[in-house]
Amino acid sequence: MKIKRPFYHYLTIGAVLLYLIVPLLGTLIYSFSTQWHKTILPEGLTFHWYKELFGDSVFLKAMGRSLILSFGATVLSLVIMVPTIFSIVVYAPRLEKFIQSLIVLTYAMPGVIIAVGLIRAYANSGISMVVVTVGAYFVGILPYMYQGTRNSLRNIHAVSLMEAAEILGAGQFTAFLKVILPNIMTGILVSSLLSFSILFGEFVLVNLLVGGSFETIQVFLYKKLNVSGHIASAIVVCYFILICILSVVIVKVTRSKKETV
Amino acid sequence: MTYVTVEKINKSFKGQTVLHDINLSFKQGEFVTLLGPSGCGKTTLLRILAGLIDPEQGVIKIDGKDVTHVKAKDRKIGMVFQSYALFPNMTVAENIAFGLKMKKLDKAAIQKKVARMVELTGLSGKENSYPRELSGGQQQRVALARSIVTGPKVLLLDEPLSALDAQIRKNLQKQLRAIQKELNMTTVLVTHDQEEAMAVSDRIYILNEGYIAQSGTPHEIYTKPVNEFVARFIGNYNVFKGEELSLLTRGTEFPHKLYAVRPEAFTSQMIDNGLEIIGKVDKVMMLGNVTRYELFSNGVSVTAEHLHKSNEDIQEGTLKTLYIDKKDVISLA
Amino acid sequence: MKRINGMLLSSLLPFLLMVVLFLFVPLIFMIYGSFQADGRTGLSLNQYAEIFRNAYYHQAFKNSILISFLSSLIAILFAIFATYSITRFSKNTQNRVLIFANLTSNFAGIPLAFAFIVLLGNSGLFTLLFKHFGWETLSSFNVYSWSGLVLIYIYFQLPLAVMLLYPVYQGIQSQWKEAASLLGASPLQFWLRIGVPVILPSIAGTFSILFANAMGAYASAYALTGSTYNLLTIRIGALTTGDIFAKPELGSAIAVLLGITLVAAMLINEWLTRKVRRDLS
Repeated sequence: MKIKRPFYHYLTIGAVLLYLIVPLLGTLIYSFSTQWHKTILPEGLTFHWYKELFGDSVFLKAMGRSLILSFGATVLSLVIMVPTIFSIVVYAPRLEKFIQSLIVLTYAMPGVIIAVGLIRAYANSGISMVVVTVGAYFVGILPYMYQGTRNSLRNIHAVSLMEAAEILGAGQFTAFLKVILPNIMTGILVSSLLSFSILFGEFVLVNLLVGGSFETIQVFLYKKLNVSGHIASAIVVCYFILICILSVVIVKVTRSKKETV
Repeated sequence: MTYVTVEKINKSFKGQTVLHDINLSFKQGEFVTLLGPSGCGKTTLLRILAGLIDPEQGVIKIDGKDVTHVKAKDRKIGMVFQSYALFPNMTVAENIAFGLKMKKLDKAAIQKKVARMVELTGLSGKENSYPRELSGGQQQRVALARSIVTGPKVLLLDEPLSALDAQIRKNLQKQLRAIQKELNMTTVLVTHDQEEAMAVSDRIYILNEGYIAQSGTPHEIYTKPVNEFVARFIGNYNVFKGEELSLLTRGTEFPHKLYAVRPEAFTSQMIDNGLEIIGKVDKVMMLGNVTRYELFSNGVSVTAEHLHKSNEDIQEGTLKTLYIDKKDVISLA
Repeated sequence: MKRINGMLLSSLLPFLLMVVLFLFVPLIFMIYGSFQADGRTGLSLNQYAEIFRNAYYHQAFKNSILISFLSSLIAILFAIFATYSITRFSKNTQNRVLIFANLTSNFAGIPLAFAFIVLLGNSGLFTLLFKHFGWETLSSFNVYSWSGLVLIYIYFQLPLAVMLLYPVYQGIQSQWKEAASLLGASPLQFWLRIGVPVILPSIAGTFSILFANAMGAYASAYALTGSTYNLLTIRIGALTTGDIFAKPELGSAIAVLLGITLVAAMLINEWLTRKVRRDLS
């Protein structure tokens, strides 16, 4: 059956896609251009900015810090959140309401607000602000980890699975490790990748809490904005490629999960 | 006098033909059923009748007019969908009134007609409820009321009862038939449930893989299946090859290729000029008022059904003699 | 007698610890701080009185609300039409567009602000292009102005709006359209009487999420001009960490008020969603 599609469907989608893609494209071209101050088109193309960027140890260190921070917070969240959500879904479904109100609270407290509170609470406490940032990240990705894990648990009917495993003689913890966890692996992997990519682009908390003393890729980019536009655009391109890779992995993992179910 | 005719309808999706030269014709006030397994093309045919999809070839006439190229909204057809498709933002009364509002009837007339429909379909007291506050059976009745209140020329029902419990389904079948008779509404039902088709229809078309396998009254279809598909799909017919029947009856000639015998046609009482089968009883099953069992004889198995009788005890492993009237052995095409 | 569940207890404790330490403690400190006078002394309503008196902070509220409202409105208008158009394409195309929307929704904050500087900054690509063609009004467009910021806000609101509205359109069953058409309704009548009433609460809910999202945004504006924009989030950041003009108690009070605004937006969304659920099955 052929669907008749009026022209305006192409127009509306086209307008939105164009608006979303042009800034990306502009930045991409800019990062490869030698000089672009007076002419309509760049005066030449070069890899120079990328060479300079990857030769800069400050950039590589910032990249490393971003990875450590985002990865650390995601792993911490995995270790703490997954068993918690599992226990709540299976043993104390009434507490789901509590988690949901926590999530509404995190939405009502974006980076700036939570940063104000964290600075007041911990700035003079002797606790490293980097640790505090990881804690804030843990709270920040709570909604994504909760959604993903809970949906996976629902999909595999975790409650009946646990009952079946326990009737067959498995202990609570064994059943969780051997029956539940392998079945929700892809679901929590997707949530983790999503959380990781969100944290990787985080600027507000890290800038307000630790600022220049723990320079992540976003802080590094901010500092480069007024130094060299070409280098900054090369950073933006690298950053975007990383998000693309993460998204592709997320899509692939989600698809493979659907196929096996 | 035919009221609806469908001539040589063809339809294909993605290069696959789903309807081949379909012809139907029925009279005003008839209750017609399109019966077949899923994927046989019955829903596609119904949607072509409604004007929701266009056929590649063929003509549809309703009340003497060619409506093949008339839009769905102008065909004066009522339809009940499998999912009911009730408008969630409207109450029961608003849902029923929708078609009348589209016809721009005045308020008093709408109110009167809606009130009558609510009463006819037994929805009194639910006028101001929203669809999600109703049970499945009630939603189904709202969908029915909504589609007949406008007085359509033909009412189309797309598996309207398939989502309901067996008990409710039986009740609604009776109500549906009663309402249809009271309004003398020309009705086309699509279903895969042969019992339902038998219970409500004046005429049944059996579809298989895009072809009409057989058409006729429920009685004709049940007693005279024309081919193996119909025999197996309607009731639990025994289908035998000619040589199998010869083996069973120890020598009687059966020249045709295939024969069908209803399980309840077998009897323990001797019949004059009947055929005799002796075999070992196996797999006895209690089906409420009927006992079903298999009889093995010369390597051929026969399924037989008897109404319960207190003096008759059917034991697995025992030998039993069954008789059958020759006219109950139907040769198939 | 209820059995004590070991797994529940041992997993819940560390979780609660984290939530208390990094959500409740800062929340309490912030609220407490907002009721202190400058320099962590005593309890007072001075900070709120200051916000109430000072036209500069009125301005910040006005600016934040205005830009959030405007960017949400424009984004949702585009998204309402574009998302409906998306649902008219094949499942494959739909998925691709959604993946792209998801991808660009991650493109926010500093990188996004920079991308707009590249396009529309003093020697931005479009600025040069417009100059070349002599389009004065366009080439004098300033990305560091309010309208520039609005463009950036629309950029990060748009993919979010599309992703939030997509499932809403999925909720409209094609059989409703068929039923309406068989009952004599035109497509326009279908949308007026069924389509729009059914999705309206979700659109309003989506709008409130977008609004809250924009109210809390900080990085884009900060990347463009540091602390010059008079937005609530920029003010809070500057008052809390600024070296010379730090007034963290005042910052806390503004943060509390912003938080209340966001909670209100969330509650409106909750209420609207529940309203949808009442008549949707």
